[in-house]
Amino acid sequence: MGSGRFTALNGIDLTVGKGEFAGIIGPSGSGKTTLLNIIGTLDVPSEGRAVILGQSVAGLTPAASASLRKSKLGFIFQSYNLFQVHTVFENVEFPLLLQGIETAKRRQMVLDALEWVGLTDKIKSRPAQLSGGESQRVAIARAMVKRPAIVLADEPTANLDAANSHNILQTMEKLNRELQTTFLFATHDEKVISYVRRKIILLDGKVDRDEIIEKN
Amino acid sequence: MMAFNLAFRNLLGAGLRTWLNVIVLSFSFVIIIWTKGLLEGWDRQAKNDMIKWEIGGGQYWHASYDPYDPFTLSDSHGTIPGELAAIANDTSVVPVLIAQGTIFPAGRMQSVLIKGIPPEQKLLALPTEKLVSVDNDIPAIIGSTMAENTKLGEGDYVTLRWRDRNGTFDATEIRISGIFETTVPTVDVGQVWIPMEKLREMMLLPGEATLIIAGEMSGGIPVNEEWVFKDHRTLLADIEQIIKAKSSMGMIIWAILLMLAMLAVFDTQVFSIFRRQKEIGTYVALGMTRGEVVKLFTIEGAMNSVLAAMVGALYGIPLLTLQAVNGIAIPVKSSDYGIAMAEKLYPVYSLGLIAGTVFIVMLVTTIVSYWPSRKIARLNPTEALRGRMQ
Repeated sequence: MGSGRFTALNGIDLTVGKGEFAGIIGPSGSGKTTLLNIIGTLDVPSEGRAVILGQSVAGLTPAASASLRKSKLGFIFQSYNLFQVHTVFENVEFPLLLQGIETAKRRQMVLDALEWVGLTDKIKSRPAQLSGGESQRVAIARAMVKRPAIVLADEPTANLDAANSHNILQTMEKLNRELQTTFLFATHDEKVISYVRRKIILLDGKVDRDEIIEKN
Repeated sequence: MMAFNLAFRNLLGAGLRTWLNVIVLSFSFVIIIWTKGLLEGWDRQAKNDMIKWEIGGGQYWHASYDPYDPFTLSDSHGTIPGELAAIANDTSVVPVLIAQGTIFPAGRMQSVLIKGIPPEQKLLALPTEKLVSVDNDIPAIIGSTMAENTKLGEGDYVTLRWRDRNGTFDATEIRISGIFETTVPTVDVGQVWIPMEKLREMMLLPGEATLIIAGEMSGGIPVNEEWVFKDHRTLLADIEQIIKAKSSMGMIIWAILLMLAMLAVFDTQVFSIFRRQKEIGTYVALGMTRGEVVKLFTIEGAMNSVLAAMVGALYGIPLLTLQAVNGIAIPVKSSDYGIAMAEKLYPVYSLGLIAGTVFIVMLVTTIVSYWPSRKIARLNPTEALRGRMQ
């Protein structure tokens, strides 16, 4: 038991532009999830300044940060975090319900999102009836359905086998290209690393390297 | 609306746990409405029976009369005031003369109240037509409890002793000309009803009465100071007190029942918040404020009572309607309770009772659901997302 403060991030100076497909890479405890949480306005830096889509995270009221997450940010989690009692359709529909989008438009947007991830035949299934790969694709559809500016994915392939990992990474890459959505991954998975076009390598809470990968 | 939709989905998705809560809560609804309806029915029936058998539209009491003090009886009598005598007929004004006496059934001695009443009266349900004398004997009617206690039957003769206005003891034989069944013990237990004129003659009190029972239209007419009008409110005060006391006992039972149901809801809420931390974190990540999540969980808990009202209505309406129509057999005798109680009670379920009960249960459920949900407002979403206990 320690009573002292733990510094998760220290001296980070980063700018991520629109449409990037970047990975925050580092071993466990390097601070990548904390950085993702700050970018996602779920956490606030104790010092320094984080500006997301022109808004300072520290200056946001709880309602303003919730509003930002509701309309501009999408989240993909390692363990999918799907609502077990809802169907695939309802899970994907949830962010649109929060935005108060009217029924017909909402339905079309959900179907579009499920088409992007190739799950239109599973709309009535419950998460328990899906494989890990399918669950993560539902999570991607849920993150993308509102056409967010940024998608934050925390270890999205950690619970998937290689084939499923490649499949969902290709899906995300395609969405990044077609919709110009910024994707930020927190990962130490080589498969993810092989897809990203920018590697931000964290070590002990500091940026060790920041590399742009040229891809054909 | 969205919160209601989501809450409803979540609630149904919880499956068996939801239905167990709902069933327990529905029992509360039905039992609270049933017991309250029973007391309401009892109250109404007891009052109606007392009006029918004993108090009519109210009573004029002689100023000295105190039913709880037998020593006042010898002085509490007077002539019927002219205002009432003028309108007196068999349904508007019925004088009653009361005297103390003793009967000797089967060699035993028993104190009684001798009540003189005109045989032709039609105001009260007492079968006073049986007091019409055919011979020279004195006919008397008694209630079935009195008959059972004294082992007297119809046609039996029994010795009656009394003291007249001069304090002289006298005795005679009376003939039991009728035994009546009533739910009102105060006209039955320890009472002997004989013809008015006969009692006046025996007591040497011609034209006098102890109290005058008024009909619906004749109650409250101002009369001289020797007589005091007692309205329904005064005359039914005792029964209202008894019903009130019984209601208080009922309240304790409802409170226990409601508490058990609320405990189940509270427990489910606490368990939900503990078990669904990751879900709570996801709600926040997807754009809900913590306040909205608190609202969602509160609605979810409160919806237990909505479902319970529906489930309760499913079996409660037919069950309670059946009882309201057929009545509920009461195993105790009315005399054991001291107030009018029929062999069958017919519960009365008013709209106010049902709506009030549903409202109270829903309100309490909402408060109990909100209480543990407040914890969500203090959850750290990043910790919640990891499903870590906080």
